[in-house]
Amino acid sequence: MLKMQKISKVYQTDSVQTHALRDFSLDVNEGEFIAVTGPSGSGKTTFLNMAGLLEPFTSGQYTLDGIDVGDLSDNRRADLRNQKIGFIFQGFNLIPDLNIFENVEVPLRYRGVSAKDRKRRIDECLEQVGLVSRAKHLPQQLSGGQQQRVAIARALAGNPRFLLADEPTGNLDTLMARQVMELLEEINRNGATIVMVTHDPELARRAPRNIQVVDGQLADFTLYQGKPETGVSSSNTTPNTTPKTAEV
Amino acid sequence: MLLHYINLSWRSVKNTPVISFLMVFAIAIGIGITMTSFSVYHMMSMDPIPHKSSKIHYPQLKLMDEGHGWSSSDNLPYQLSYQDSVNLYHADMDLLSSPSFRTGFSVHLNTPDVKPRMEPARLVNTEFFQIFERPFIYGQAWSRDAQDDKPYVAVITKDINDRFFNGENSVGKEIYLDNKSYRIVGVTENWEHHLKYYDVNNGAFNEAESIYIPFAIAPLEEVGTWGNTNGWKNEALRTYQDLLRSEQLWTQFWVLLENEEQKEAYGNFLMAYMEDQNARGRFQRETFEYGLRNVNEWMEYNEVVSEDNRILVALSFMFLMVCVANILGLLLAKFLKRAPEVGVRRALGASKRQIFLQHIVEVSVIGFAGGVLGIAIAQLGLWGVRTTNSYYNTLATMDGSMLLAAPALSLIASFIAGLYPAWLVCKTQPAIYLKSQ
Repeated sequence: MLKMQKISKVYQTDSVQTHALRDFSLDVNEGEFIAVTGPSGSGKTTFLNMAGLLEPFTSGQYTLDGIDVGDLSDNRRADLRNQKIGFIFQGFNLIPDLNIFENVEVPLRYRGVSAKDRKRRIDECLEQVGLVSRAKHLPQQLSGGQQQRVAIARALAGNPRFLLADEPTGNLDTLMARQVMELLEEINRNGATIVMVTHDPELARRAPRNIQVVDGQLADFTLYQGKPETGVSSSNTTPNTTPKTAEV
Repeated sequence: MLLHYINLSWRSVKNTPVISFLMVFAIAIGIGITMTSFSVYHMMSMDPIPHKSSKIHYPQLKLMDEGHGWSSSDNLPYQLSYQDSVNLYHADMDLLSSPSFRTGFSVHLNTPDVKPRMEPARLVNTEFFQIFERPFIYGQAWSRDAQDDKPYVAVITKDINDRFFNGENSVGKEIYLDNKSYRIVGVTENWEHHLKYYDVNNGAFNEAESIYIPFAIAPLEEVGTWGNTNGWKNEALRTYQDLLRSEQLWTQFWVLLENEEQKEAYGNFLMAYMEDQNARGRFQRETFEYGLRNVNEWMEYNEVVSEDNRILVALSFMFLMVCVANILGLLLAKFLKRAPEVGVRRALGASKRQIFLQHIVEVSVIGFAGGVLGIAIAQLGLWGVRTTNSYYNTLATMDGSMLLAAPALSLIASFIAGLYPAWLVCKTQPAIYLKSQ
């Protein structure tokens, strides 16, 4: 599904070079649910931006669903984001002027889906997150947890095969966080591949596969629930329950 | 998608009413002022008779002693002497032509019931009505026979007919011009032109005359001109007959030349005529020149649209550019504030082109609203212009093309203003805003 090989991202100012990612390699197989952890500033979000085609990388190779995205034009990257990737953000990032229905509709409009199909799909997604009755509400009329569920519905609307979640529960209380996590797990069970960045070790433990990013490098991975490891890059194939720094 | 963008634009306008109003108002003021001056310029410079302007010609003759010139750009006089107008009209050529000059009479019905009033009139020949396609409500132009033998006939306009005959068919009735009775042979529509192109010598924007009588009346009634009289020769003008025989220039002349062959033939005729008149001893010169301009060339030659008008239009367009610069600043502020939302849209699959289009549509909505409001402001401005002088009554108006031009110009101006802000916002890197929102 996702294959990154020696991906580097360097932010360059006049006098300073910052290596956000260094030789970052990772394989993610179809249907996986991966939690990405690591200290602040370690490169988790940069990795997520690269994976979500939101930023170009400096060097390396990235293949998404069999497509080498390195040389794609901006338009093609936008198409791929629209068709294959769903995003869930910590701050929900709902558009405040649009009601819930219209927020979920956004990716479908860019895909050129007909009005009838849009409505059907939006109803399905809102039903899945339990917010059909709130379709005409504006985001600010909903609680944080509800807003995040709307964001999840929006991410699901385009039926993406790949879901990227950046601290999806970061702005939620424990109960709501648990509900959102259960929703993500259900989505994963339905076949979507999920990569979730989180600071919350409890949430990370619920993901079948964990990776840790330290100083822009993949530091270690941990398997929970006794599942065998899958899709780790060749230099990280040894499961280890004790986090340690490893070359990638 | 366009309708969706229009919907988003409308919401954006509603969500930011103050800044949106400022933008609409700025562009409306710019469009209003620009369209006010441009509409007047447009009416002034518009072809007054588009389907025929290239065929109707005005001859100019340099019939004066060597060494004499004129104040025109090519030293040719603007008018003809009476004798030249008569000679050209009676030339043996199968063409429609007519001399004319402006005058005026006290018009009455020789009854105490109707008060007399001074009305401008024009002496013309019957071909004048054909050349300029004057539409008749009743009757028709006088015949060539009547013109030659019984010239006390008149064509009046609807305005005079309404005033003196209550709008009834007055053909065959008598009307008095000063103390002479004329038989009405036709009633024409009022000549509501924006440009009095057939006589720019006496005010290109004056109102049309309301009474037309044959040119042959001039010597019979010693009709004086209400227009300019110029001459190159010192002559003793003691009687009206002296004026008719003089080199004084006070008549206009128009000839209809259907094609280039006719124009060339008429040019040759004018050269031959000047040589003939020279041989008769009217003046002494060795080289001869003539002018033969069609209606639009004649308007340009007479500088009907002055340089001042052009400068005014240019200044108003510059003012519009100032408004555009202001709108650009406001749009920059508005669009860049929206960058986080654009970041989300980009993350959800919007291409740069789609983001650009969304914002250009929003700018266009503002521009269109500004254009509509600008028309209202322009109407106000034109009303103000009309109050300054009556000859602006037909000039200071917006015709259909100007009514369409206003929103079009507004859209172009707003597009120019919105181009940079829309381009800037469409370049938004989504990753920058997604975390920080």
